[in-house]
Amino acid sequence: MAIQGSFVASILLSYLVAACYGATFASLQDTLIVTGSPKAGQVLKGGEDNITVTWSLNTTFPAGTDSDYKTVKIKLCYAPISQQDRAWRKTEEELKKDKTCQHKIVEKPYSPSANTFTWTVQKDVPTATYFIRAYVHNSIDKEVAFGQTTDSHKATNLFEIQAISGRHVSLDIASICFSAFSVVSLFGFFFLEKRKAKAAQKS
Amino acid sequence: MADINRSSLHVITAPYEGEATKFDLPVDSEHRAKTLKIFSFAQPHMRSFHLAWISFFTCFVSTFAAAPLVPIIRDNLDLTRSDIGNAGVASVSGSIFSRLVMGVVCDLIGPRYGCAFVNLLTAPVVFSVAFVSSAQGYIAVRFMIGFSLATFVSCQYWTTIMFTSSILGTVNGIAGGWGDMGGGVTQLLMPFLYHMIKVSGATPFTAWRIAFFIPGWLHIIIGVMVLTLGQDLPDGNLSTLQKRGDVAKDKFSKVFKYAVTNYRTWIFFLLYGYSMGLQLCINNVIAEYFYDRFDLKLHTAGIVAATFGMTNFAARPLGGYTSDLAARKFGMRGRLWILWIVQTLGAVFCICLGRASSLPTAVASMILFSIGAQAACGATYGVIPFVSRRSLGLISGLTGAGGNFGGGLTTLVFFSTTRFSTANGLTFMGVMAVACTIPVAFIHFPQWGSMFLPPSKKGKYTEESYYSAEWNEDEKEKGLHHGSLKFAENSRSERGKRQEIAAAVTPPGYNSTPLHV
Repeated sequence: MAIQGSFVASILLSYLVAACYGATFASLQDTLIVTGSPKAGQVLKGGEDNITVTWSLNTTFPAGTDSDYKTVKIKLCYAPISQQDRAWRKTEEELKKDKTCQHKIVEKPYSPSANTFTWTVQKDVPTATYFIRAYVHNSIDKEVAFGQTTDSHKATNLFEIQAISGRHVSLDIASICFSAFSVVSLFGFFFLEKRKAKAAQKS
Repeated sequence: MADINRSSLHVITAPYEGEATKFDLPVDSEHRAKTLKIFSFAQPHMRSFHLAWISFFTCFVSTFAAAPLVPIIRDNLDLTRSDIGNAGVASVSGSIFSRLVMGVVCDLIGPRYGCAFVNLLTAPVVFSVAFVSSAQGYIAVRFMIGFSLATFVSCQYWTTIMFTSSILGTVNGIAGGWGDMGGGVTQLLMPFLYHMIKVSGATPFTAWRIAFFIPGWLHIIIGVMVLTLGQDLPDGNLSTLQKRGDVAKDKFSKVFKYAVTNYRTWIFFLLYGYSMGLQLCINNVIAEYFYDRFDLKLHTAGIVAATFGMTNFAARPLGGYTSDLAARKFGMRGRLWILWIVQTLGAVFCICLGRASSLPTAVASMILFSIGAQAACGATYGVIPFVSRRSLGLISGLTGAGGNFGGGLTTLVFFSTTRFSTANGLTFMGVMAVACTIPVAFIHFPQWGSMFLPPSKKGKYTEESYYSAEWNEDEKEKGLHHGSLKFAENSRSERGKRQEIAAAVTPPGYNSTPLHV
């Protein structure tokens, strides 16, 4: 009984260890073929334009490669040019620390073929150059494989997104009104007090 | 340089006959309050105290309002690390100049208008973030908002003329500390406002702009309150008193000369850069540091960063109070030792913060660092009132400017480029602070001594000789130096308990009533 208990415990422990131990990017197999609708150099507008992503298993790999594939997460990733001088987008080998892919497009259960999804570029996506990458996770949510729209040097097939400015006409008008009020109160007070002092002096 | 006639702090005459004493607090001969009643808003002393520190607090809130929102702003405006660093430098460099100007402004038109001008003119700049769409615009706006830190000078000036010198250390420490707290409150307030605005439907890139409207409104409210409820001096407003002839005028060129030729001014310029300067630097980088390095949520990073600024509530007054305590036993030498000890300790914990690789160690180091640096600020202004009597305002302003200069320089060297990671930047900043605190040992008062040396020539120099050295023979003949002599007599407390020299002995030449009256 005790042996059975400790056996179960050690299995659970090994799962836990496996889950905690950070996967590195180098350990992932490039088994998915991912294509995105934006052409190389195309500029998409945040909040308006769409991206259609299709992905499937690369059939040149032996059968059974995808035996533990459970879910697929499609992400929008920064190209090297948009990572320059921006340490908060740095690429790290350990996937837990990696900040290359910060915007999730979609998460779907894994199937080997005929996967597609259309996504409207969200309004909080910043202006930058991107590519698309899909991570495949197993049943304990650990990354086991990937696929991306660009090559291994992240140099081909990159596209740009132009973010929304965040400005609004109503905001501009409110800003001007309050600023005017502030300046008028200041100088109004100043000249009013000067006039009062002059009047008091005269009387 | 033409001599600009400039009124000074010294109110000499007694109240008018028939004017009954109508003050809420006990006052001295200059009608400055002798006690501090924190929960009172009575005119004129306590009301001025609260208006002074709140207007300074508001300016700190808006100067650092962008810092906790940088993770959102950097995506909206496509900022690089250099842009963010430069904006941080810009936010503290504007006030190097504006703090100097504010001293003159307070003298010319009073601290009430000084406070109000800055607050009501900063409000439009804060609202203008609605228009910002590039890195250049962002840097420009942060630079202009940074001018508002000049309210440090008007705040300290206003409390100095409302409260008597024996409690000034504590009063100025509380007003300065509570104002500085704004840098901490903003780290909590802005993410909270941002979150609320996002929840009510705005997109992130619009929400942060709307969030800035709240500090803008605060500026307008406090500016109007200062104008309607405030009063420059215990007896009334400056323009009224100047017309009555109650306020004496000094010459700007003389005040300037005695400020810049006193070597202690420049040591404090450097020192304050590594107590206040470190704080200004940290206010700009700490939230982003915790967000990026320890993967905290924006909201949580804001809370941690806020703790840094919030310790100002007690730490700065504590520094001033400890300085006062040390002075009771050891005199000025005690004050200097306290200043060196707390500032060096603060710098050491800054090094620990940079080296910390786990969250609890980092937070603990940060808190100890904040207590050290902020107490050092309080202790600095425990010594400053004694450096000079004639040029007190300008030396206070120069020291304040030095704080900003040090903060800007440090941000530029360690946090604007990719050369150092933020963690290493913090470590090197701490090392630099330890080195730049050593000059405290060189501050020597002939009548009181320094950290390692006793008073010069065994008591030949007195307080009177030190303070009247700022006036030439002509001016002494006219009796202009009497304010300084009064101050000198009161400052004998800086001798400490060890040297009980008879206070009743008055040096030759000093007469309380001029002969020609």
